[in-house]
Amino acid sequence: MSYGIRLKVSGAHACFTRPEMKVERVSYDVMTPSAARGILEAIHWKPAIRWVVDRIHVLEPIRFQSIRRNEVGHKAPAGKIKSAMKSGSLEGLHILVDEDRQQRASTVLINVAYVIEAHFEMTGKAGPEDNPAKHADMFSRRAASGQCFHQPCLGTREFPAAFELLPEDAKLPVAIAEDRDLGFMLWDIDHAVAGRPSLFFRARLDKGVLEVPLPDSPEIRR
Amino acid sequence: MTILAALNKAYGRMQDAAPFGYSQEKIGFLISLNDDGLVASVTDLRTGEGKKKAAPLMPVPRPGKRTAGIAPNFLWDKTSYVLGVTAGEGKRVLEEHKAFKERHLESLANGDDTGLQALVRFLSAWKPERFDELGWSEEMKDQNIAFALEADRHARIYLHDRDAARAIWARLAAEGDKTEAICLVTGEMSPVARLHPAIKGVWGAQSSGASIVSFNLDAFTSYGHEQGDNAPVSEGAAAAYTGALNKYLEAGSKNRIQIGDASTVFWADASDAETTELAEDIFAVGIGGANEKIETELVGACLTRIRHGEPMADIAPQLTKGVRFHVLGLAPNAARLSVRYWFDNDFGVLAGNFRRYFTDMQIAPPPRDPFPGLWRYLTETAVLGKRENVPPNLAGEWLRSILTGSPYPQTLLATVLMRTRSDKTVDALRAQMLKAILIRNFNREVPVALDLENRNKGYVLGRLFAVYEQVQTAALGSKVNATIKDKFYGAASAQPRKVFALLDKGSANHLSKVGKQSPGWRINLERSIASIMAIMEPADDPFPSSLSAQEQALFAVGYYHQRSEFFKPKQVQDTESEGDE
Repeated sequence: MSYGIRLKVSGAHACFTRPEMKVERVSYDVMTPSAARGILEAIHWKPAIRWVVDRIHVLEPIRFQSIRRNEVGHKAPAGKIKSAMKSGSLEGLHILVDEDRQQRASTVLINVAYVIEAHFEMTGKAGPEDNPAKHADMFSRRAASGQCFHQPCLGTREFPAAFELLPEDAKLPVAIAEDRDLGFMLWDIDHAVAGRPSLFFRARLDKGVLEVPLPDSPEIRR
Repeated sequence: MTILAALNKAYGRMQDAAPFGYSQEKIGFLISLNDDGLVASVTDLRTGEGKKKAAPLMPVPRPGKRTAGIAPNFLWDKTSYVLGVTAGEGKRVLEEHKAFKERHLESLANGDDTGLQALVRFLSAWKPERFDELGWSEEMKDQNIAFALEADRHARIYLHDRDAARAIWARLAAEGDKTEAICLVTGEMSPVARLHPAIKGVWGAQSSGASIVSFNLDAFTSYGHEQGDNAPVSEGAAAAYTGALNKYLEAGSKNRIQIGDASTVFWADASDAETTELAEDIFAVGIGGANEKIETELVGACLTRIRHGEPMADIAPQLTKGVRFHVLGLAPNAARLSVRYWFDNDFGVLAGNFRRYFTDMQIAPPPRDPFPGLWRYLTETAVLGKRENVPPNLAGEWLRSILTGSPYPQTLLATVLMRTRSDKTVDALRAQMLKAILIRNFNREVPVALDLENRNKGYVLGRLFAVYEQVQTAALGSKVNATIKDKFYGAASAQPRKVFALLDKGSANHLSKVGKQSPGWRINLERSIASIMAIMEPADDPFPSSLSAQEQALFAVGYYHQRSEFFKPKQVQDTESEGDE
């Protein structure tokens, strides 16, 4: 049995980065299913459940804006940190920002609002006291009172999302009246497979609603 | 549609698209060989005169991406690889030539094709010193060189065109361990391109080419992927989209415009070539301004009718149905390209947004050029009118708002006002921009031509300032070193209360001087001042201590309208004439 929930999220900016334009970020037109899953997991998640996104409703017109930000070019390397831990000294474990500057432009979405329709399924890690009703209840309680493990974000962490649970009897907000072919969109990343391949599906916005295929649907190209 | 998918589709429709595995490259010189490997002749393939000699493009086996390593191409390359000579001080020319020689001796050694064997013999016998011995021209250095058999030279069959060469290249190109993954452009499982071909021709980017999809530093990678695995794009799709972009970005291409620092490419997706061309030309003239390459008559007529608000169905019905238009703006960032804007919609939608833009910009009297390009407006926002000084984000955001119909960027208002204060000129272009911003962003009603009834404080003060300037010109002539516009425009538009009393006092002196020579003229000027002051209400703070940005914009518009009024051909004095075209 799966319980469906509807969550309204909104924010001032959003960047659901396209994988091919990761450096000079360009956002997808619409929230990706993996970003929606991330928001739900930020509110409530246990290893016993797995969130599956069904539908995303787009409530605000799709508008872009270009911003430029100064960042750095390197990540802290895991190997160096391990050796620093072993040797007990921080020698060489730094990034000199002034020498490593990279200016990156981003094309982000502005003033976004979505309704995420999703349900969860129990996984193999569910224990004897785990049942769907309990988790559904926990989620509803937490979403209604605004509790979360970490602030949900719209694509990247610097764009926080405000969330609001739509109770079962509430009317669904009207989506924008737009039909758009969104091309191939990232469905999610397959963390279970070696190499972590990306999974894509053909996305279409139909009267402002993006239908997301289920995990084992043939629409997902693997 | 996504950017890469649309470019992929466009490449498929191009007639002279190079087949998969090949790309269009500039080849400057041709060395033709005899069967025994001796050089028969050297032909200069370039066209043009003097410094402007341009090498023709031809489809050659796709070059590998060379950034810092040595990677010879197959059957063609620059002289440092092919001959071991270079014009400048080449530090590793010898290694490069050695790599080129080894690559070819290895892959061609066991063949029996006459042409390829001739190349093998040539390379085995070649020494870089022979370049000077043979007395070959210095211009040849650092050009791209291709080969042909002397017998095939007149038929233009090069070594890389020979069947044996094609077969060998097909095998070589498919080598290398290629991981297979779902391509995000085509959705098919295919070998993933590790590095995408370079995109050349973007203004301000590296001349060796830049990339949209690049992961050269580890801060850009995710989930432990390296290079192209971060974004799986198949080899074919990568070649297609870069091929399409390179074609559109060529110098002299009809599909590109430079807007600020963003190289903009645009293309239409229609059923036949004529409609495509018409759609692209309309965009080119509407945004880029009048262009010698495009015959502007039909296009200009279409644009004028769009401007007048006629629906697209009347102007060019073939453009209403099923014509998709794409605009992509690319801005350089050293070796990367960032996407400034992407527009992908029906041509009808674009025409509608054009019409809104033209309507916003309408002003009387209009600028001299009926279709000034966007770059003309942008140079008005730049210091000293230089293109490199245009604020970078501004050009992109403005074009995006024109194409999508969204509000204009707020910085445009601030920048134009700032430039107006600095160089104290309000010409038609600046007045147009200010008017457009006021109409769209602030929902104001701004008159197209001189409006004698308009009571807005900024507008009225602008008109008054123009009249005072006229009075000074009438009294002192037009050869004054510094008119009141030069000295007082900034203060008058931003802080009127400080300045207008002074101007009025000065105008009294000017008027008395004018009166001594032509009393009639003096009366007319006084009448103009009086008519403007009649609109002002004393209780309503007609000379405020400061004007907001919007009112300063209206000041500029009012100034422009009133000033142009004085330069109109003389009408009968007592007819109130509204501004006309």
